[in-house]
Amino acid sequence: MTAAVALFLFGAVTVVLSLQLPIGTLRAAGSGLFPLVLGLLLMGLAACHLLLLLRARNTAADVRTDERVSYRRVALFLGAVAAATALLAPLGYILSAFLLLWALMEILGVRPRILLLVVSLLAAGFSHLLFVQWLQIPLPKGWWGQ
Amino acid sequence: MDSLGYLVSGFGVATTMQNLFYCLAGAVVGTLVGILPGLGPIAGIALLIPATFSLNATSAIIMLAGIYYGAMYGGSTTSILINVPGETASVMTCIDGYQMARKGRAGPALAICAIGSFLAGSLAILGLVFLAPPLADAALAFGPPEFFSLMVFGFVVLSNVTGGSLLKSLMMAVLGLIIGTIGLDPVSGNPRFTFGQVSLLGGIEFVAVAIGLFGIAEVLDNAEKPDEVLEQRVLVPRFRELYPTLRDLKESLGASLRGTGLGFGIGLVPGPAPVLATYASYMLEKRIAKHPEQFGQGAIQGVAGPESANNAACQSAFIPLFVLGIPFAPPTAILLGALLIHGVNPGPNMIAEHPDLFWGVVASMYIGNTILLLLNLPFVPLFANILRIPKKILLPLVMLFCLTGMYSVNNFMVDLWIMLGCGALGYLMRKWAYEGAPLLLALVLGPRLEVAFRQSLMISHGGFGIFVERPVSLVFLLATGGFLLLPLFRKVARSLGRRAATVS
Repeated sequence: MTAAVALFLFGAVTVVLSLQLPIGTLRAAGSGLFPLVLGLLLMGLAACHLLLLLRARNTAADVRTDERVSYRRVALFLGAVAAATALLAPLGYILSAFLLLWALMEILGVRPRILLLVVSLLAAGFSHLLFVQWLQIPLPKGWWGQ
Repeated sequence: MDSLGYLVSGFGVATTMQNLFYCLAGAVVGTLVGILPGLGPIAGIALLIPATFSLNATSAIIMLAGIYYGAMYGGSTTSILINVPGETASVMTCIDGYQMARKGRAGPALAICAIGSFLAGSLAILGLVFLAPPLADAALAFGPPEFFSLMVFGFVVLSNVTGGSLLKSLMMAVLGLIIGTIGLDPVSGNPRFTFGQVSLLGGIEFVAVAIGLFGIAEVLDNAEKPDEVLEQRVLVPRFRELYPTLRDLKESLGASLRGTGLGFGIGLVPGPAPVLATYASYMLEKRIAKHPEQFGQGAIQGVAGPESANNAACQSAFIPLFVLGIPFAPPTAILLGALLIHGVNPGPNMIAEHPDLFWGVVASMYIGNTILLLLNLPFVPLFANILRIPKKILLPLVMLFCLTGMYSVNNFMVDLWIMLGCGALGYLMRKWAYEGAPLLLALVLGPRLEVAFRQSLMISHGGFGIFVERPVSLVFLLATGGFLLLPLFRKVARSLGRRAATVS
C-alpha cells in the first residue's frame, strides 16, 4: 500500500513539474509533454493498483516479511556507506575505504578484531593499487595526500 | 564481402594480444561473478564498465560481453555444488545438477554444463553471424513509429514475463521512463528536472541506478540476515570424478542441441530470455524423456538442456541489441549503455559503420567460449573455493567495489548519492515485490522512446494514427495489446472453466 501511494505521489509531482516546462503541441511537442504523459500514466497505474489492494484488503500478502531480519543492521550499513561517501573527499580514498570496510565488518560482527583490521588494511591497499595505480582512475587523495 | 569473410576479418581484430587479454579477463571475471550468489551479470557488467574507460570501444565490449556469457557459465557452478543458483538463469540447473553432485558426480555435471554451453554458444554465434546482417537490412526500413511500437512491445513483454505482478512491473517501467527524462531534453536541448545541478544535465547515470538496484540492494538484502545464516559454512562436495563418460556425452548431446534451438529463438524476443529458455528446455526434456521419473534425481539431460538454452539465449540476445539498438533484457541494456559511453550508437547501421567492432566482438565470442571451456573443465574446483570466503567479509568488499566503481565513472559525488538512494530503493522494492529489471530497461531506453514518439508525431503533424497506419508498427501494437490482455483472458478462461465444471 505504501509503495502504491508513494508511486502515485511521485506521478503527481512529475505532472506538476512537467506543467512548468513548455508543453508545446502534438505536432511540435515541448520538453514537458513526454514527462507529463508519463506522470499521468504512473498516477493511473498506481491508482488502479491501490484500488485492487483496497478491494483485496490483503496488503500483507504483497510484502515479503521475515521476522528474523535485522533492519537495524541494514540502517547501520547504509549509514556507514553514506558516512564513507561524505568523507571520501576530505579523507581521501584509501583512508575512507579502510574505515568503510572496518565499519561494515564491525557491524557484521567479524571476529577476531585482528582479522577485521588485517582484511580492511589489505583490501583498502589492494583496491588503491588496482584502481589508482593500475587503472589510473583519479580517486580523491584527501587532505593528507595533497 | 559476405558474412564469413567479415567474420574472418573479425578474427583478425579479436586475436590481437590486447583483445585476447580482455576476452580472457572478461571470461574469468564473468565466471567469478556468476559463481558468487547474488552478484549476477547485471551488477557485474555495471561494476566493470568504469574499468573499460581507458580502452577502445571494441576491447571494452569484448571484455563486457565476456563478463556476460562468463557469468552464465559461472552461474551453474554454485547451482550444482551447493544448490544455490549464482544467477536466476541457473535455477533449473539446481534441480538435477545438485542431485548429481550429491551422488559424487559434480565433475561430470560441471563438465556437461561447460561442454553444452560451449556447443550452444558456438552454434548461436553462427546464427548471429548469418541472421544479424539481413535483419539489419530489414530494420533499415523501420522509422520512428516502428521503433516506438517495438520499444513499447518490449516493455510490456518484459513486464509480463518477469514473474511478478504485471501492474507493478508496468509501474516500474514508467518510473524508469520518468527518471530517464531527467537531464537535457533529447530534442530541444532544454534542461529538465535538473534543479540547477550541472551534474544532472547529462541525465541520471544508469550505472548508478544499476549498481544501486542490483549490487547495493543485494548486499543490504544479505546484511539483514541473521548471524547463523551469514556464518553458514559452504560445503563444496568432493570431486570423485572430473570428466563425463562417453555415455554421459551421448545422453546429453540431443538435450544440448534442443536447448540451443530453444534458447536461440527465445533470446530474440523481449524478456528475461535466459530464464525462460532454461525453464522451457527443462520442461521439454522432461516431456520427451524415456524415463521422466529420473528428472529431479540427477538426470544429465536436465543439466545439459537448460545450460545450453541459457547460453544460446544469452548470445542471440546480442542480435536485437546490435541490429535494432534495442536491448530486450537488462544485461544487454547495460551493454547498450556501455556502447553509448564508448561513442557507438547501435542500430541498423552499426554493422556498416563499425564493422571492426561488430565482427570483432562476434569473433571474440568464439574465442571467449573456447576460453571458458578450457577454463571451466580443469579449474572449476579451484573457482569453487571463492565460495569459502565468509559472507561477513565478502559483503563489505562488494560494497567497497560498488562505491569505487561508481565514482570511477564520472568522478561525480552526486552519482554516489544516487547509487546509495537507488540501493535503498532497490532494497525496499525487494521487500514490496517490485521488479528492478523493467525500471532499468526503461531508464536506458527512455530517451530513445521519447525521440521516436516525438519524431513520429512531427511526421504525422500531430496525429496518433501514424502508429496504426504503418503495418509493422500496427503488428507490434496489436501484440502489445495481446500481452496486456493475456492475464485477463486467462482469468476469464479459468472462471469459465470453473463454471463449466460446476454445471457438469
